[in-house]
Amino acid sequence: MKLKHSLFSRRQFLNGLIGGWVGAIMAALVYPIVRFIFPSYKEPDEVILLYADYKDILPNSSKIFPWGSKPGILKKNDDGSLMAFVGVCTHLDCNVEYQPEKRKFFCACHDGWYDEFGTNISGPPPKPLRRLFISIEGEDLIIKKEGVE
Amino acid sequence: MSWLDERFGLSSVTQFLKNKLIPMHKHTIWSYTGSAILLFFVIQVLTGFILIFYYRPILEEANASVARIMTEVPLGWILRSVHSWSATFMIALLFVHLLSIWINKAYRRPRELTWMTGVMLFICSLLFGFTGYLLPWDDLSFSATKVGTDIPRAIPIVGEWVTKLLRGGEDVTGDTLTRFFGIHVCILPIFLLVLLAVHVYLIQKLGMSIPLESEKSKKKLKEIPFWPNFVYREAVLWLILFGVCLTVAIFFPPSLEKAADLMAPAPEGIKPEWYFLFLFQTLKIFPARLLFISGETAAVLLIFLGIVLFFFLPVIDNKPEERKGKIVRASAYLFILYALILTVWSLL
Repeated sequence: MKLKHSLFSRRQFLNGLIGGWVGAIMAALVYPIVRFIFPSYKEPDEVILLYADYKDILPNSSKIFPWGSKPGILKKNDDGSLMAFVGVCTHLDCNVEYQPEKRKFFCACHDGWYDEFGTNISGPPPKPLRRLFISIEGEDLIIKKEGVE
Repeated sequence: MSWLDERFGLSSVTQFLKNKLIPMHKHTIWSYTGSAILLFFVIQVLTGFILIFYYRPILEEANASVARIMTEVPLGWILRSVHSWSATFMIALLFVHLLSIWINKAYRRPRELTWMTGVMLFICSLLFGFTGYLLPWDDLSFSATKVGTDIPRAIPIVGEWVTKLLRGGEDVTGDTLTRFFGIHVCILPIFLLVLLAVHVYLIQKLGMSIPLESEKSKKKLKEIPFWPNFVYREAVLWLILFGVCLTVAIFFPPSLEKAADLMAPAPEGIKPEWYFLFLFQTLKIFPARLLFISGETAAVLLIFLGIVLFFFLPVIDNKPEERKGKIVRASAYLFILYALILTVWSLL
């Protein structure tokens, strides 16, 4: 059946065709670019360290291990038990350090303090340091993030 | 010359410059800041070209390559020092340039777009400073960049993505360094040059703004030709400023701390470049929580709102002679006061 009046002119049809075509090409180009510039980095679920390397930490002192591209801090308590934290400040992401003489974790960027169990006690940090979970299996020291079996 | 002119038609440009007139009034002095900014931009482009010959934008080598520029490469230390100091001079002049236009309302109709491209050029320059600061890859610049790139995270919804885009991942790593280098030497220069072309074209097209008082009294202002009279006067200023910059660069070269270590605790006394200090302090003085959002989010949103208002200033200030115009001018002075107080505060 032939329509009496066209719904759009030939010019409109061609503009729409070219516009849609250019749009589709752009979308096809933009998608890989976006994927490319946002890498799909994932934090490790667990890291496996050699227990022998960390066995000799003295009570009330700490040692750093790599947790992905962040520092992890392994700390021995007075009773000999171990605790592990992600060693970045919960305020603005600076690396923190454990100061044994003060029995506190310290972030130098904005003067943030956490107690020896990683609880934020003074300065801008809004949350405690992130705890990680430790298990020892044979010669391995396994450090896992929360909720990983 | 005539052979080239026949093909390029350059005489229309030179003729234009010869006929271009600069109005002389008590605020003419601020017109000198524009070309002085350009001077320091050109110095940075030239010194930047040379620094690239030795600089290596990868994690393992960045810091050592800057150390090599500072110690081994003949006159490398002074090139880096001039590059860094001319950035400081350029940003300082940008503040003066924008504030003088704000206070004198030189952005009045029809110069709104000149202002807006100017604000974009200003933001480009700040991004140049921010990305350039990381390149020596020492522990101070590393920690400052960790903080700086973590701040957008406070913006609702898109914040997380902005942080990832800047860092090239979850954390500041070697990828961030390479990314910042690419932004610093390739992406920003292209943006800046395009914006600059539009900005300069608009200034030529619309001519120099004259002060509100003179416009109202309709008194004819004295004018001098742009070429050569005004350019010669500018040249005197360029020479003086270049001399001062070079002198400061020789006596106070920028330092280079030890190479950044991704695992090491942040050093004490981290701070951003001086022109970010008042924003930095603004972030610091906000309480941890404000009503139902975190203080950080509130501060970041406020700063963002400030930038948007600043960008649309000519649109907001559409009745420059009335009460609103006076408030806009007063807010410029308030801004200066605020920025000065917070900068000093952050240094205490």
